[in-house]
Amino acid sequence: MNRNALWIWLPLGLGVVVMLLAPLALVSRPYIMHIAIVAYFYAILASSWALLAGYGGQFSFGHMAFMAIGAYTTGLFAKFVRLTTVPTGVCPEITVGSYTLFLLNPVTAGEPTCLDIAKATMPAGTLIYRPPIYVGILLGVLLGGVFGFLIGVLVLRLRQAYLALFTIGFSEILRVALNAEIAITDGPNGLELPPLFPKGVTIFGMYFDATSKIPPYYVMLFLFLGSMVFMHWLASSRYGLFFRSIREDEEAAAALGVNIVRYKVLLFVITSMIAAAAGAVEAHYIGVITPNILLILQMSLVIAMAVIGGMESLVGAAIGAILIEFALEFLRQNITIGPWTIDMTDWRLVFFGLLLMLTLRFQNNGLIYPIIQRLTRAGVTEEIAARRRLVPETVQEGEG
Amino acid sequence: MYLWLALLWIIGWGVVGAVLIPRVYARRDLDVSQAALAGAMVGAASGPFGLALLAYFTPRLDWKWVVVPGAATVAIFLTAFAATYPNNLCVSNSAFVLTQVVNGLVVGIIYGLMALGLTLIFSILGIVSFAHGEFYMLGGMFVYYLTQEWFPGLHPLAAVVVSAVLTFVIGALFEVLFLRPMNTGQVERPGEYAILVTFGLSFFLQYTTLALVGANPKKVPRYFDYPRLAIPGEEGSLLKVTPGTVRLFEEIVIPSPRVTAAVIALILLGLLMWFLYRTWIGKALRAVSQDRQAAAVTGINPNVMNTLAFGLGGMLAGLSGASLVQVFSWVPWVGTQAAARSFVIIVLGGMGSLPGAFVGGLIVGVVEALGAGCVPDPHRAAAYIPAYGMLILVLVLLLKPTGLFGREL
Amino acid sequence: MKRVLWSVLLIVAILVAMVPMAVAAPARQGDAGFDYIVVKDDWLSKLALKYLGDVFAYPAIAYYTNQKAAEDPSYAKITDYDLIEIGWKIYIPSPEEAQAYFATRAQTLGVTEGETIKIGALAPLSAPGSVTGGQAMKAAFEIALEEINEAGGVLGKPVELILVDTEGLPERGTAAMERLITQEKVVGVVGEYHSAVGLTAKEVAHKYGIPIIFAETWNDNITASLYPEVFRIAPLSSEVANLDANFIQWLGAKKVVIMTENTGYGIPAAEQTTKKLEERGIEAVTFSADIGTQDFSGIIERIKAENPDLILVLLTGETSYNFEQQAAEAGIGPQDVMMICNQVADDSESFWKNVPDGNLCFYRKVGLPPVLWNEKTKAFAEKYMERTGKTGVESYAMEAYDSLWLMATAINNAGSTDPQAIIEALENIEYEGVLGTITFPYNSKNPPSEAGVEDKWWHQFPDFAAVFIQYQEPGQPSSEAPVVYPEKFQTAPPILP
Repeated sequence: MNRNALWIWLPLGLGVVVMLLAPLALVSRPYIMHIAIVAYFYAILASSWALLAGYGGQFSFGHMAFMAIGAYTTGLFAKFVRLTTVPTGVCPEITVGSYTLFLLNPVTAGEPTCLDIAKATMPAGTLIYRPPIYVGILLGVLLGGVFGFLIGVLVLRLRQAYLALFTIGFSEILRVALNAEIAITDGPNGLELPPLFPKGVTIFGMYFDATSKIPPYYVMLFLFLGSMVFMHWLASSRYGLFFRSIREDEEAAAALGVNIVRYKVLLFVITSMIAAAAGAVEAHYIGVITPNILLILQMSLVIAMAVIGGMESLVGAAIGAILIEFALEFLRQNITIGPWTIDMTDWRLVFFGLLLMLTLRFQNNGLIYPIIQRLTRAGVTEEIAARRRLVPETVQEGEG
Repeated sequence: MYLWLALLWIIGWGVVGAVLIPRVYARRDLDVSQAALAGAMVGAASGPFGLALLAYFTPRLDWKWVVVPGAATVAIFLTAFAATYPNNLCVSNSAFVLTQVVNGLVVGIIYGLMALGLTLIFSILGIVSFAHGEFYMLGGMFVYYLTQEWFPGLHPLAAVVVSAVLTFVIGALFEVLFLRPMNTGQVERPGEYAILVTFGLSFFLQYTTLALVGANPKKVPRYFDYPRLAIPGEEGSLLKVTPGTVRLFEEIVIPSPRVTAAVIALILLGLLMWFLYRTWIGKALRAVSQDRQAAAVTGINPNVMNTLAFGLGGMLAGLSGASLVQVFSWVPWVGTQAAARSFVIIVLGGMGSLPGAFVGGLIVGVVEALGAGCVPDPHRAAAYIPAYGMLILVLVLLLKPTGLFGREL
Repeated sequence: MKRVLWSVLLIVAILVAMVPMAVAAPARQGDAGFDYIVVKDDWLSKLALKYLGDVFAYPAIAYYTNQKAAEDPSYAKITDYDLIEIGWKIYIPSPEEAQAYFATRAQTLGVTEGETIKIGALAPLSAPGSVTGGQAMKAAFEIALEEINEAGGVLGKPVELILVDTEGLPERGTAAMERLITQEKVVGVVGEYHSAVGLTAKEVAHKYGIPIIFAETWNDNITASLYPEVFRIAPLSSEVANLDANFIQWLGAKKVVIMTENTGYGIPAAEQTTKKLEERGIEAVTFSADIGTQDFSGIIERIKAENPDLILVLLTGETSYNFEQQAAEAGIGPQDVMMICNQVADDSESFWKNVPDGNLCFYRKVGLPPVLWNEKTKAFAEKYMERTGKTGVESYAMEAYDSLWLMATAINNAGSTDPQAIIEALENIEYEGVLGTITFPYNSKNPPSEAGVEDKWWHQFPDFAAVFIQYQEPGQPSSEAPVVYPEKFQTAPPILP
């Protein structure tokens, strides 16, 4: 057993150490840092989708919608909510202690907001604050959970294709609404967000300004590692078993006393919150969020990452996502084979689609998961063989 | 103002009814299969009064309990709309409404044809093809390349036939290579595999087309120039035809390419019905959709039927693309919206139901046309077009997942 | 076992495909610098590759050797990179030293130090971006690049153009700019089609202080933020709205319907045009649609009911074709009411294929009218049409072509690749291009606030010409369609429906 544990923990531990130390080597290459941050973002989405679909069998196409809910919540919070020391008297507001929390009214560009109107009458020395970024992110996560709960309850009865269609419908409606309500969301232009640390941040005596990539790198990395640890714990706990039993046979699981409603909804809430958190952090990091992230193409990217990595393995899905994000970025150069030059801007997604189909057809468990499996089972087969030699007369049961 | 109050009433009491009534029925050990839908409709139409009566008397719920309050709900909504926007064209101008409805019906026939392919695939293979939009796109692309680039002068109808054959071959080939393993036990969890692999196909076809033909929009000239015609005469004619338009009652104008496309769709529909109900293969297909095992026992090879069904489904999408490439400009991503619309239609009509797909197509066509025509804010009317259908989809899935004509689950 | 093999093979295939990136990363050989005696068949770039892992690192060897030579005459002095003699004692710096050298060079001399001068370019090359526009710009960039390199390149070195796909997405725009500036180390960036991308790209350019010339992003805010790095040769959205309003007034329309797309281009353009029309006492109603809308029949009936004298189409790409043709089929096409079609109509082959009933369409063309084409415009148009097989030149192709030439000229004028020097050169430039003589009169010496103009004029090419053209015969190529407005360029009077 020790040997197996070593085989799986050694590469994983090494991987984590590399990820933690990477900024030291990459400090002069912000572009690679950027891809790494985006890759972790996709890894969070792919692995949480793998938990939802691979473990729980809930084939949702609405994962990006929860991500967008997280991102837009914190974006709108940063855009419309302000704190002052003096009531404005014009904006919708509530007073909390010595502060007044108020909402700005949506206006078209160039017109004054209610704050601009109120400023004229405010006494000198009035302070106006933006509420802290993390409040918005937490709010986004919370709202992601609320929507996850609602959708989870609504889709209880729906399975497979019905569920897929319902979630596509949900995310399309959300996309169209975000696109059309320009006064609030800025429409296709995208909602601009302040950076994660607007005033910069000091860690261990080192100062990083708002544009530095190192703080967001670690924020995203810790979010990624944290959610991986949490999801891994969840999947290997009792709950994981329940999730899988629901996936395999709902009726049987219910008959055996698994509270299907509770676990299905719980699964939706948890994965939605993780997606919303990833979305909120990513949106602050990029600085802009557009409704186009809700296009089915983007969702299919996440699904493909999870599938190619291995849908039934959280780690597999995450590694798949990181590899594919890097591959898609670096495969943009033209490739010349003999007399033909292949323009990879056009063709990379073709190869990607082909890879997805072939993986599904010939490597049902994805490309990464079998390797992990192989590593963890390196000793198991020998062990089983040894046991079989010891007790040859036992009837061997089918291996699962 | 009235409109928002009415909407609040409809949604609020609808939700209350949909949640409460099934519980009441379940507690009294009555049939709950229609309870959610009937509860929602009664609640939306009559609010607490109707719901209280329903919960107290718990009558046996049949289709009347859905249709009558459903109609009442629509009436409430329309009255509130008319009261709020008395100057809206949809309220004040009946010719306008009629034009929108006719336009919606004409387009709806073609939508229905495409959805028919999707529902055929579902009824035989039990899967939803997410690559359906790409077959639609390919159908149009083939006609364009056949008539404009490869064989200039080829009659468009011949190109439509060739494009149908090509899309059929692509569909059948894909089925043999990627879907057949599902039935031979080579694939775990076939339902989810099918969703993903058709998704991969959609990705592959769309981007291959983009890489090969580029993004310049393409279009085929209209297939037929109609002869000039006026019945009964130039003045006050009931039907007036010019090369480019068909005009009914002087008021309703339908562009002729759309009429052509709708007529092609109707002919194909007839052919399909003949094929499914009069030929041996068609009967075999229907037999497989009703009972796989029993059909296999009588000597029908279900694998062949699967291939045939997927090919036919792709072909129907290809054909609707081929008949619409003279109406819309064609680009490689043209199938995305059409596919989304097909999903709405088959869910509305009931997955696997052929008449459902046709009726669903007409309904979605009319709803989209009225939505674009009647939403008061001109900024939002067209911007929300993709959402109208999706709203239907979500509502149907919540209230009656079997759709209008679906088999009970 | 077989499955694992398959997985490993596929992953290896992916990794192999990523080799180009690995090659570009510097390989770390020895840890410290050391002395080296030149032997037969050595040359500097070979040594640089061997010991520093980078062919282009040879100036570092020369630099450190020359520094040592100043103190210790036993070292050789390298004056010509291509000439080293057997037996010379040279100093091979450690990779850290070499990097430090390049870092300081980058600060003092600009970023590039290599065989080529790298210029970045942005264009949408895949959906949801406007691929049509992106591909036209790409062709124009390629023509400009060939010409620049045939003319001897920039600062005596060939120009390398690194074209990045922005997909029309603002977040991709950020990523693309990061890549161009920090990874590819370009000295300047040109191009882009979508305003939404331009708005985020300008922030990255500002962050790193790298000059950028926008080719086809019309949003006023791009120049209005007064960033020293941002230049634009595309017209201003608000000014175009003004032109449109003037033309509509001249045509005598009293009621206008604006059909726009709800994008960063369409919505502000519709609002600005409505404002300008109201100033002139003309009524305007706006309808907006999602990009990619196919069926306009519902909206067209509503437009019909508005009974307009003129329809202004602010949809782009195939969406505009769909609308124009369907409007014509429904009886409110350009032959029934005046219609200002979208400028994509300038691609006449595509236009007539998609809008066969589009005769009498007006459209606005940015750039010099054909009567005023200079030699350069004519030469470019010929090359462009030959390369793309099109029958006309779109304004964004001209702008893309000029933006690259402008950047190259500015670098030559600056005499270095230092960003500050390039910006200064751009501020003082007077460049004869296919769009006319390009200058940026409102700059750091003459800021808009002092010149008494709005901030949007900052680093903006002010004299962009725009004319209105009308197709007057079905199937007419755009090069033969007459200019109808402004009157001083008029080649034929407009035909009103």
